[in-house]
Amino acid sequence: MKPLSEGTRERLMKLMATPVRRKYFESLRRMLGPSGVVSIREEQFFLVLAVAIGLLAGFCVVLFRIAIQEARLWLLGPAMHPSVARVLVVPAAMGVVVAVLAVRFFPRTRGSGVNQTKGALYIYDGHISTGTVVGKFVLSALAIGSGQSLGPEDPALQIGAGLASGLGRWLKLSKERMRLVVPVGAAAGLAAAFNAPITAVLFVIEEVIGRWSAGVLGAVVLSAISSVVVERWFLGSEPLFRVPQYHLDHAGELLAYAALGILGGVASLVFVKAIKNLRPRLRRMPEWSQYLQPGVAGLLIGFMAIWYPQVMGAGYEWIDLAMHNRFPWEVLGILAGLKLLSTVLSFGTGTPGGLFAPVLFMGAMLGGSVAMLEQQLFPAIAVPVGAYALVGMGALFAGILRAPMTSVFMVLEVSGNYSIILPVILCNTISYAISRGFQEVPLFDLLSRQDGLDLPSLEEEREQPTLCVEDAMQDAAVRPLGGDETIAAARAAVSGSAVEHLLVSLGEGRWSVLSREALMAAEDDAAPVRGLVRGRVPRLYQDQSLDVALRFLKDRPMLPVVDRGNLDRLMGVVSIVDILGAYRRAGLAEPETVEV
Amino acid sequence: VWTIQDWRPLLTLGLVIVLGASFTRLVVSAYDEKRQALATQYYAAGMQALDGHRAVDAVNALENALVYSNNNFEYQLKLTDALLATGATDEALAQLHAFLDQRPGDAEVNLKLARLEAKRNHADEAWGYYQAAIGGVWPGASDPFPQRIAARFESAEYLVGLPKPEAAEGALVALAELLPDAPAEQQKLGELFLRNGDAGRAQKIFESEVQWLKVQREDVHRDGGGARHGEQIGTAAEQQEYLAAVMGAARASFAQGNFNGARRWLSELATDTAESAERNRMLGQLRRMEELDPFAEKTTAAVRAQRTVVAFRIAMGRLAACGVPFAEAMQGNAAAGAGRAHGKEQDAAKWSGLERWALQVSPWMNERKLKGRDDVIESTMRFAFQAEMTAQKECGATATDDDEALLLLARERMGASR
Repeated sequence: MKPLSEGTRERLMKLMATPVRRKYFESLRRMLGPSGVVSIREEQFFLVLAVAIGLLAGFCVVLFRIAIQEARLWLLGPAMHPSVARVLVVPAAMGVVVAVLAVRFFPRTRGSGVNQTKGALYIYDGHISTGTVVGKFVLSALAIGSGQSLGPEDPALQIGAGLASGLGRWLKLSKERMRLVVPVGAAAGLAAAFNAPITAVLFVIEEVIGRWSAGVLGAVVLSAISSVVVERWFLGSEPLFRVPQYHLDHAGELLAYAALGILGGVASLVFVKAIKNLRPRLRRMPEWSQYLQPGVAGLLIGFMAIWYPQVMGAGYEWIDLAMHNRFPWEVLGILAGLKLLSTVLSFGTGTPGGLFAPVLFMGAMLGGSVAMLEQQLFPAIAVPVGAYALVGMGALFAGILRAPMTSVFMVLEVSGNYSIILPVILCNTISYAISRGFQEVPLFDLLSRQDGLDLPSLEEEREQPTLCVEDAMQDAAVRPLGGDETIAAARAAVSGSAVEHLLVSLGEGRWSVLSREALMAAEDDAAPVRGLVRGRVPRLYQDQSLDVALRFLKDRPMLPVVDRGNLDRLMGVVSIVDILGAYRRAGLAEPETVEV
Repeated sequence: VWTIQDWRPLLTLGLVIVLGASFTRLVVSAYDEKRQALATQYYAAGMQALDGHRAVDAVNALENALVYSNNNFEYQLKLTDALLATGATDEALAQLHAFLDQRPGDAEVNLKLARLEAKRNHADEAWGYYQAAIGGVWPGASDPFPQRIAARFESAEYLVGLPKPEAAEGALVALAELLPDAPAEQQKLGELFLRNGDAGRAQKIFESEVQWLKVQREDVHRDGGGARHGEQIGTAAEQQEYLAAVMGAARASFAQGNFNGARRWLSELATDTAESAERNRMLGQLRRMEELDPFAEKTTAAVRAQRTVVAFRIAMGRLAACGVPFAEAMQGNAAAGAGRAHGKEQDAAKWSGLERWALQVSPWMNERKLKGRDDVIESTMRFAFQAEMTAQKECGATATDDDEALLLLARERMGASR
């Protein structure tokens, strides 16, 4: 790029005549490097890229949602209750078509897309092929549109991640940045599909990244918001469901919510166990059967749909009706059960499609059923069916997907009502605890391990005990020496002990380590100890992690652990031996011992 | 610092975003059109089904319409109507409450909720929703005055029907202050006052209405049809309004016991009008009342005695029909059996006062004995009035025309309220 001409420079100087303009041009000049080209820091560029990913993912997801609807109209017709012929033929026939395409041409599109994205992040350095993105788009739209009991959110997550991966490859991002760009795209895809940016960000952190990472958080949030803006711009800002207002009238209601939490936990357990047992069995069957399995699942779903068409597809329109008292409790209970069965069939056979929507459907129906039953048993009490349906969604989400934080924020974001938080937390905790108690490995980790991948899990990380300095800290064998203490007094203090190193307090929170040898070799007995020390050592606090202690320790023999309120007060000492002893005592579980 | 030496990737990215946005806009527009067409098609089918009283089909069609236009308030309201038509009250109520959460001040939703709660006999809730509807927002109406008046009428009518006369009176008085001089609405207001038992106010409204219409008519005659209202006055509709106002005034006079006034108003009505059936009925009642009145001017002693005997028999017949034991006994077994058959057997103690009175006057129930005994005639007629009023109170409105005439006579003579 050519440097600026004299004329241009003059014009710029004239423009800079006012202080406001001068300030603006100063910042512009800082962006312009010596050669006159834009120079921005890589982190800033990454944020710009996150916004671009969000916008593009937003477009893709809008088109994806329309593709699903068009497929539905084309295959099943516009009515909510399709004809018997269609429900019997379409899911089965399209199941076979989708299976052939998935097995032969797009093998990485099978399943939900969440664990595939996580696999791409940790195994393939963020590489998701363009074919996978295209395949996921087309096959998921056909599968969901033809009535398979799956949802669009997880595929949208994979599509977003794939798009970001493609963009990263095109911009020749470094391997490190490629690994960061995938969750950014995943969050954008999920946020646009679910119209809920906070939920998407938390879900990506809990399930895709699998660990808390502050480095990527800003970009993830930006991309999620950008994609939601696009989605709302094109498809409107209406929420997925019309959620009735809710307020907790009486603390006694929490008992009913607790019951819903127990039911949600049991249902979650049944669902995960069913997937856990069915999926490997179906995969072990002969290869030719892989082409037929989604078709058979479609046929069975079609049979259910003759009487209960609600089990087909994502089913958000039915959730809305359930929230507004449109079904009796028996029907809601049946729908929850049938949806569980149909989703196990669709997902277990490897049909491309997500679990988000079916899980929410099951939760809403279960919650609605509990509410309607309660209404029948206690007609004097006004039971808010919509609130129970919402809480039920959270319970199933927490129990099946095992993303507890996401489950709480998902309900809050979808309902826009914070007064529901108490029932949600109670119900989700109970459901999560039941699911966690009887099924150690979360669903997505289970799926990854069934596919032969071992990916990091936030749940496992969360449940590993965090070791702190206080777990390794020992009492000092000898009292710390004062900096102004004479060498003679110091020698007297250590005379009864065999310690090799001594701590010296230099005052004002400064500490040093002195070797016994140096102390004994000193010639002037009246001189202060301060004169013998060489440099200072960092101090530790009891609550700091052992990882920090190890970094500070380096080759030092020991470090002082002091009181945060009084930096000259010694609480104990830590050495490398103490730290290793603490790790040994903690006895962490080894990955091989975890049952899949 | 990472310097972008080559702008092409960023420019291309920007171009891709612009192209992506344009393409998505095209697809979304086509998709929206299709959805709108489907929504309109299902809505039309739903309305057709609703008009054809096929409520279940209407619900299905409107649900489908809402799939393609899920935020369409009009569709949602119609779905509520369809749900109500299928008898799914709880579902409709839940829908309406959901709407109210979204649009707390929406008058239409509040009005529907008021009607629904009224149907469920939840009077307080219904009244609250009516109030909210009256003060609420009427979307799509630049001047919501007519809708508010209609809502006021409906709420007042509801209170009159409950009946909650005091609350209804307040609502009607408030309505009267707001109501324009439109004949149909004034007519309706008068009728509501009348139904609420405030015949005095009803009378004033009908009379001023008659006066107003007369003035209009005179204006027409004076201006030779060129007056402001001239084109309307004299039409069949205007004539009908006038006759309805006169009939209302007659009814109000009748209800107040002002029978002469009622006769005067009724005389203004022609025999071949829409009101003629009621007019004839009222005139018949007045005539029968005159025939039974022993106190009428210029009545001979013989006629007075004869009318008293007839009145006594009518009253005893009413008591017997009501299942009063002494009256049954005095009327004979057949009447007693009929009384019991109607399940109106009465507690004897409740009627002991009337029984004693009947026993006192019954020996005199002979035209010859009564002749010249105005004291007994007076006592007998009082007994007859009391018997009719008590029977009406205890046994309800199962009276014959004669009983009705006696009651009217009682009101005229004793000033008793209905």
